Formats: sequence, structure tokens, C-alpha cells
Amino acid sequence: MNLFFNNQNPKSNSSKRELLFTFQSIIVTGLLAFTAIAFFVYNDLSIIKGIKIIFAPFLSVVPLLFILSILRDLQKGFLEGNYSKAEIIKFCVITVAITAAFTGITFLLSKIDALEILLAAIMAILSAIFFLKSKIKDILGMSIVTGIAEGIIVYMIFLF
Amino acid sequence: MKLKQVNTAFLVTTGVSVLVFIYLVFLGYDEIKTLKDVIKIIASILFPIPMLFFVRFILIEHFLPQNTDEYKLKNQKPATVLLILTVVISISFMQLLEYTTSQKLEDNLIFAHLINSTTISSYVLNYILYNNLRANGILSGVLLSLAIHVFFLSA
Repeated sequence: MNLFFNNQNPKSNSSKRELLFTFQSIIVTGLLAFTAIAFFVYNDLSIIKGIKIIFAPFLSVVPLLFILSILRDLQKGFLEGNYSKAEIIKFCVITVAITAAFTGITFLLSKIDALEILLAAIMAILSAIFFLKSKIKDILGMSIVTGIAEGIIVYMIFLF
Repeated sequence: MKLKQVNTAFLVTTGVSVLVFIYLVFLGYDEIKTLKDVIKIIASILFPIPMLFFVRFILIEHFLPQNTDEYKLKNQKPATVLLILTVVISISFMQLLEYTTSQKLEDNLIFAHLINSTTISSYVLNYILYNNLRANGILSGVLLSLAIHVFFLSA
């Protein structure tokens, strides 16, 4: 994948960072789909009310689209130069905290026993990620997205 | 020119690490009994990737290393010392861990995958992007000690 970055963006660091951020959010999306499938197959989820499945995505997608349309960008974008040591430490701590939080959230997801509720929850997280991806284009967004990915993986490895 | 070399090296090392992953999965095939094991193994293989992206995101400036003779000469000795030190430390650590918990590493395949995939990915990343010879020594040490442990020291 780095091959990809080199060829396409030889010029600016901020565009490379943006590409990395995009990749990271694609990975998280994949991981969420993976989680949904894993829980669905392994926990033998049942469909209690079929009609709810159709409406589950709207619950979070509609507010997301609304917010995206009315809000301006919250951050200035990616930095061209290096981050300072204090910033790196701060954002690493944020990442670790989000990882811990998301290990807990995935644990809660595993307790859900109806498919429609799981779907609604996964869609809500996905909407949050798309919000970060499009509005918080910054190291903060990157550390949150990384934390979510690691949290899901840590749960899958150690607690599942 | 240099970019092309880097790309080739990247492809080769990625190919090798993918092969190693597949081999490891098949090696532990008889240990994989349920779907849960498959999920755990996939998760442990995926574990390093978001982290590497994050590191790359932060340290983007140190791109394309200058691998000069001078730099190599300067770092030869510390890198070798670090390699030997890491091998000794991690082998004794693993032995101690197996001794105290009286469990074999082979029985906990997930941990073997986790260590292996994390080290290989950071190895590839370091080799391609930063070319930090000391880090190279440490990572080689971890991989080597894992290999020695699995091949020779576990009966």
C-alpha cells in the first residue's frame, strides 16, 4: 500500500496524511463489517421484528447526513510538517484511551441478542466514523479512528 | 530510481510476510477447531496494521532514508549488540514464561501469531521507510528468537 502513496503523492505530506487517514477509515469499516458477521454467525442472532432491520440504518444515517450538510469543517486539516513531542504523546494517550473504551463497547455489542439492534449499533458507529472522516480531518480524527480499530481487534483477540 | 528499488523491496517483503502468515495458519490447522479460533487468528494478523498506519501518519517526515556507507559503519556495532541482546533476552523471557505458567507457546497459537505479525509488519515498515539500523537489530532479534524457540527449544 505504501507503494501506492509513493506513486500518487510524491509532493506534499498533508495529502499523504489524508490518504493514510482514508485507508485507516476503510480498515475500520471492514473491521466493523467483520464484527457484525462474527457476532451474527457465532452468537446465532435471531431476527425478532423484520421491519426494524429496514429502518435500523436510518436511525443514524439521517442525522449524519443532516449534520454533514449544515456543519463546516471543524479542523484546519493535516499538518505539513512534523508534530511536536508533546502532541505525539497526547495523541498516543488518546488512542490508548479510545482503544480501551472500544474494547468495552465491543463487549457490549457482543451482549446484544437481536440482529436489528446490532445492525443499528454498527451503523451508528459507522456514521460516527464517516463524521470524523469528513469533518475532523486532523490527527485527532486519526487517533480516534485508530483507537476504534485497535479496540475491536483487542476484544476479538483476548475476550471473544 | 531509488523509489523503484524501494517499491520492489516493499512488494517482495510483503509477499514474504503474507506467505509466512498463510504458512503459520496452516501449521496450526489442527489446532483450529471452531469459528472462534479463525476469528481470533484473523484479528491477531490484522492487529498491527492500524497501528502502523498511525505511526506512519505521525512520522511522515522521515521518509526515504539515506542508506550511506557512513551511516552503516556508524551503526554496525550497536545494531549487532542489540540483536544479540534481544535474542538472549527474549529467549530467556519466553523460557521463563513457559516455565512459570507451564504452558507451551504452541498451545497459545494466538500469541505466536500476534508477536509474529506485529514484528514482521514493523520489520517491513522499518526496512522500507525509516531504515533505522538499531530498530532493525531489535526486530531481527525478536523474530530470530521466536524462530529459535519454536524450532529448537520446545520439545
